[in-house]
Amino acid sequence: MKKLIQFKNIVKEFDGQLVLRGINLDIYENEFVTLLGPSGCGKTTLLRILGGFLTADEGQVLFDNEDITQLPPYKREINTVFQKYALFPHMNVYDNVAFGLKIKKEPKDVIEQKVKRMLKLVGLEEYGKRQVTEMSGGQQQRVAIARALVNEPMVLLLDEPLGALDLKLRKEMQHELKKIQQEVGITFIFVTHDQEEALTMSDKIVVLKDGEIQQIGSPTDIYNEPANEFVARFIGESNIIDGIMVQDKEVVFEDKHFACLDVGFAPNEKVDVVIRPEDLDIVPREQGKLKGVVKSVLFKGVHYETIVETRSGTSITVTMHVSEAKPVVNTEAKEYMSANDFYLDLEDIAELNDAEIIARADAQAWDSETEDWISIHKVEYQIEPKTGTYPVTFSTKAGTMVSANMFVREANRIASKEYEEEIFAVNFFKKVDEIQESMALDTDLKTWANASAWSLEDDSAVEITDVVYDFDVENLTPGDYQVTFKTEGYEYMIDTTDKHEVGEEVGLMFMPEDIHIMSKKGSY
Amino acid sequence: MKQFRNMAYPYIVWSVIMIVLPMLMILMYAFTQKGNDVLTFRFTIENFLKFFSDPIFLDVLRRSLWVALLTTVLCLLLGYPIAYIISQTSGRKKILLVMLITIPMWINMLVRTYAWVGILQDKGLINTLLGYIGIGPLPLIYTDFAVVLGMVYNFIPFMILQIYTSLSKMDKSYLEAASDLGANKVESFIKITLPLSLPGVISGITLVFLPAVSSFFIPKMLGGGQYVLIGNVIESQFLTSGNWNFGSAISLIMAIIIMISMYITKKVDKTGQKEGGR
Repeated sequence: MKKLIQFKNIVKEFDGQLVLRGINLDIYENEFVTLLGPSGCGKTTLLRILGGFLTADEGQVLFDNEDITQLPPYKREINTVFQKYALFPHMNVYDNVAFGLKIKKEPKDVIEQKVKRMLKLVGLEEYGKRQVTEMSGGQQQRVAIARALVNEPMVLLLDEPLGALDLKLRKEMQHELKKIQQEVGITFIFVTHDQEEALTMSDKIVVLKDGEIQQIGSPTDIYNEPANEFVARFIGESNIIDGIMVQDKEVVFEDKHFACLDVGFAPNEKVDVVIRPEDLDIVPREQGKLKGVVKSVLFKGVHYETIVETRSGTSITVTMHVSEAKPVVNTEAKEYMSANDFYLDLEDIAELNDAEIIARADAQAWDSETEDWISIHKVEYQIEPKTGTYPVTFSTKAGTMVSANMFVREANRIASKEYEEEIFAVNFFKKVDEIQESMALDTDLKTWANASAWSLEDDSAVEITDVVYDFDVENLTPGDYQVTFKTEGYEYMIDTTDKHEVGEEVGLMFMPEDIHIMSKKGSY
Repeated sequence: MKQFRNMAYPYIVWSVIMIVLPMLMILMYAFTQKGNDVLTFRFTIENFLKFFSDPIFLDVLRRSLWVALLTTVLCLLLGYPIAYIISQTSGRKKILLVMLITIPMWINMLVRTYAWVGILQDKGLINTLLGYIGIGPLPLIYTDFAVVLGMVYNFIPFMILQIYTSLSKMDKSYLEAASDLGANKVESFIKITLPLSLPGVISGITLVFLPAVSSFFIPKMLGGGQYVLIGNVIESQFLTSGNWNFGSAISLIMAIIIMISMYITKKVDKTGQKEGGR
């Protein structure tokens, strides 16, 4: 096959922002090439540079070995199907399609023949006299394709042409476009952010991110052997696990050795291990290469998307002291008041102030009749920067008072070497009705316990995904309860045809060829 | 929606009093004889016969239509390029240019026309300047030229703003598509921009032709006493001759002529829209 288009080190900048960072790409004759990437990756910019609507700041575009970098669009043997079709609203279907031929001043009878043939190709032969504004999205789409193809270009550019169509029509048009491309036998360059669309239609997929090419390959290559974590995550669902390549054809993850087919990595190189959800099978626990618990099951139409956790994340358990609600009553002023004891981290004493104490103690005062809140006028306390118990007294203007204790303790945190993260939470005191009145108990428990987790590598926040407790909220009695906070552990997504119950203990099975190894280099 | 419907009543009453009633009165005056009182009407078409049988009036009508037409054509020829240039600029420059077109309209039209008298008269600005280099004085004021100049000056903003609006509303992707299909800039303009800006051109024409054909103070001030257009005739019938019936008849004739010409323009617009690409 012949090289038709060559991009040589294309750089494009918009307002000081690099949109394309040196793109090198060859496109051959008769190929269906898809530029795939998330929004803002530069795929449309690259297409518009090829169409001639933008000029590159650096680099060259070669077409049939000729430099066309500075050529205006109307001199290029390339036609475009625009994102919103850009059909001329003042012309009917026939005139829209005939536009390019009329500009070239072809004889009238030739124009008529070509337009008729093209309308037939896209299945609109009866619609020539129709106004384009009266047509449906799918029909306009076909007119736009006919209008571009009638000029017999060497290359057809399609800028997300299916984006405005509904799902069913989109699937139809995908097949239609592929069929048309095979029939006319020219190069199609298709821009999309839809990975499924790219996999369905393309001969070659170019994955772009942040103005850089991540991978070029056939749909099967890209799906089965993604070059890095970004491609793996962007093309279909995948499970990506940290691993170490001990030697050729042997990888370690989750502290276990597994056989695989990949070779050519440095001994003990840190790698990303990719296993596609459809390559994993759920088997009885004792037969699995990995063992875990079903965390969630989602019905997806043809299959169930089952999440199995093989190892839980970093966790910390704190004690919740639950007491019966007994607000202080001031009959004279008709005021109620309440406050909880609370634990305090030694480190936090320096930053302590009245508002913080009121919040931690959840101190409240309210009118006994109207239940309106009354502001707390005074907070009295004495505290020293060492562990111990310190009383605090809250009072309102009317003289209602309530006391609570501040227990100052060493910081209670748990670090996890495995995940390079740390989790923190404190014991806390609550009243029965406060817990029962909570609208979002998991979130409130996190707030009350001051629970948080962060990465030890870069201090970024790590989400606490699980809050575990075993008390019955409806029938809660005073006493001490354990609450556990957990971060996300190792989870695998599995496509299954059988439905599994949440909480079921299962095993996971996979074959050496199901494991794909990616170098950590080049991923983010 | 009911409460909103009630809110329309004051406007209906207003438009009946201020629009419908006066129009009915013009209609009534046009078909009656002078000297009617409230109770006795004598219907006649004499007013219309008088107009169409007198060559002087027909000549005035012909001249009015010609001046209005000339004004409209000049406004279009001058206004389109200006509107196009404004639509091609962006940001501050665009706002500034639109302001430059709009600001003169904040000043009373009579005052602006009077300024032209000062500029054009025999001892005015232009002739004084020409006098320094030994030319003139040229007869500028009280000519066809002065009248048409005054009209173009007064009415061209309407043309520019209408065309500018329709040009700036146009989707730029049409031009990209035309360029993609092989059309150079000139071809794109003729085949895409021009037909798509036609609605703006049509409403611009309407907004210029209407006041131009019935204007009376511009010909009066810049055309002098001898320069009579149909607006002046109507004015004098009401204010000097006191023949309201004849004045109403002429007004009615003008209204019908304008209605017919508007109808024709709308027709042209529609077929132009359909056949723009052929």
